[in-house]
Amino acid sequence: MSFSAYDLRYHLEESYPALCSYLQHRAQRYLGQLAFDAFEVDQVVGHVIEYLARIQLLGGGQQAPQTALDELSNAQFYTFLNRMVQNKAIDRLRRRRLPMSTTGELEEQGNPDEENDPLNSVVEPFWGDTPFANPEEAALEAVSQEQLRLILKKCIEALSAAPHQLQAVIQELQELGASELVQEVRADLSLDLENTAVPHLSQHKDHAHKKLRLCLQKNSTNLAVMVAIRLIEYGTQSSGTGNISIPIRTLVQDGLSLREVQTGLQHLVNAGLLDWRGEEIVEITPAQQRGLTRFYEDE
Amino acid sequence: MSDQFVGVPDPQQQNGPLAQWLYALLAEKTQEAVGGPIPIGEDVSFPRGNYHAAFYPQLPNFAMALLRGDAGVLTRYAPLFFHLLGCPICHRAYLETYDALRAARNDDSKPTTTTLHLSSSANLSTTSPKLLVFLCQLLIGQARSILRQAHREHSDEDAWARSLLQQAMGISRYIMQGTLRQRALRDLVEVASLYQSGSGDAPASPTTLSYSALVGAGSGSRGRRMRRAEMLSRPDEQMSIELRADSLEGTITQEDEMLILRLVDLDESLRGKFLSISVPLGTLLEPVRWLGGNPYAIRSAGLVGPDGVLVTPLGRTDLRLSNPEDRNLLETLFKKLDVYPAEP
Repeated sequence: MSFSAYDLRYHLEESYPALCSYLQHRAQRYLGQLAFDAFEVDQVVGHVIEYLARIQLLGGGQQAPQTALDELSNAQFYTFLNRMVQNKAIDRLRRRRLPMSTTGELEEQGNPDEENDPLNSVVEPFWGDTPFANPEEAALEAVSQEQLRLILKKCIEALSAAPHQLQAVIQELQELGASELVQEVRADLSLDLENTAVPHLSQHKDHAHKKLRLCLQKNSTNLAVMVAIRLIEYGTQSSGTGNISIPIRTLVQDGLSLREVQTGLQHLVNAGLLDWRGEEIVEITPAQQRGLTRFYEDE
Repeated sequence: MSDQFVGVPDPQQQNGPLAQWLYALLAEKTQEAVGGPIPIGEDVSFPRGNYHAAFYPQLPNFAMALLRGDAGVLTRYAPLFFHLLGCPICHRAYLETYDALRAARNDDSKPTTTTLHLSSSANLSTTSPKLLVFLCQLLIGQARSILRQAHREHSDEDAWARSLLQQAMGISRYIMQGTLRQRALRDLVEVASLYQSGSGDAPASPTTLSYSALVGAGSGSRGRRMRRAEMLSRPDEQMSIELRADSLEGTITQEDEMLILRLVDLDESLRGKFLSISVPLGTLLEPVRWLGGNPYAIRSAGLVGPDGVLVTPLGRTDLRLSNPEDRNLLETLFKKLDVYPAEP
């Protein structure tokens, strides 16, 4: 009896027993000395089942969005599950300070079902060459990569509705020596915040941080940047007026859904950069074109 | 610059402090320890606060886009990317996902099916009850998360949540031990009420009495669960589901296809009146054809007797109380049963 990602999504009741059976078998294989410790086997099996539920694959049917796992062949899907089990088993062995093999060593052994499987080497970190293996690396990418930095800038500029909060953050950035970013924000907002004392600075800073956290993790911010770029790139000039017009369906490609495009457009409307009320074709005046270009260009 | 940033490539040598500031900003208030998995057997139907339904499900697509080297992947997934900076749980899951997907992509040609050792007889009846409880709790927890997320985003995911709850109910019928089934379905009624409260289908009338099926409490007067063989040998009408509302009791029995509700010791204020019966989980399962068509307002066929007894049919079903799995399903269906006067 076999199963696939499709089965787990659409026929969970029928395929769950096979999933459990497979995971238990693999867990025992990789747990080495702990293979007959029911608690440890449960830990590994439960971890993978929980993961599959949390990514909304188990029983997700057609309502749950498709994921990369749905695109894997059956062989690839088993390899995926196998690797998840293996990594968790290594984690459990590490916690118990028991000897284990590295992933590479296990692969070199060929058939992993051989009876005498030597689980006797020291494990190495297994996230070695994964991009953004630690959050600090990701943070550096976020402030270095042009468009992520642009999103950060847009979120800082969104604080302008609460000038004290904006000023508190500007002051922080100045103290960090992030003068380039400060200059960009000032240029965009045409604000002169210098030499203005801010009462209750730390309170404003706390509020500002909360807003920034929300803004950075909100989908509309990055969608607005992506849609603004596409509006300018894909737009075609209307005769005479200098306006450009873009059918919305033109924007819906390369990974952006209609809903996401609409979210991005609405964000641009809220920022005063567009007049759009749900029409199929977006019309942009020359003045709006300049505003949109300024919106996404990292000056 | 903190030690954490030492050694991270930064050709311009100028973004370190800003990166450190951003990291501190996003990690603030979200310092969650990376715990182990939830042990099977512990309650998971209330997802821990560190499950972020808006981000976690995106991890496979994000990791795959990175592996494929898709253009603009960081911009496309910017909210998730910023989230990963401050959430160790999701970051850890990202690392696991990336590693496993990388292995999967590199391993396409391997005939891994030869390593499968799956019993051809594996089915839910033979699956470990602990793993069934775990799955039911996860499905109910997912339904809760989806409904909450939908509420925040002003979207409608009722059908999805309903489907997850139906699957949890369906799977739970294979859990024969009552206490385990109780644990598996502990939050079912509450989560079901989350979407029903917004659907407008739920009854508006004030509930006078609220009964609960004693899940796994046994059958009929014997007071404890009977063995499967015993159950099969007894006629349908002798099987029952016990209900309780504080000190009041009731039963649901079956005569052929008809489910019959019997309530006793009803208050004097209800005697001589018709009652309305509401089965809140009634819309989740289709096998019961409710009298009147609406499980939220089943009008009693007769009046409450002078002795406080009401016997009334509820609906027809092909499910059989004598079948252990069917009985478990019906018992779940009547986890909650509300009663109120049909006329004020």
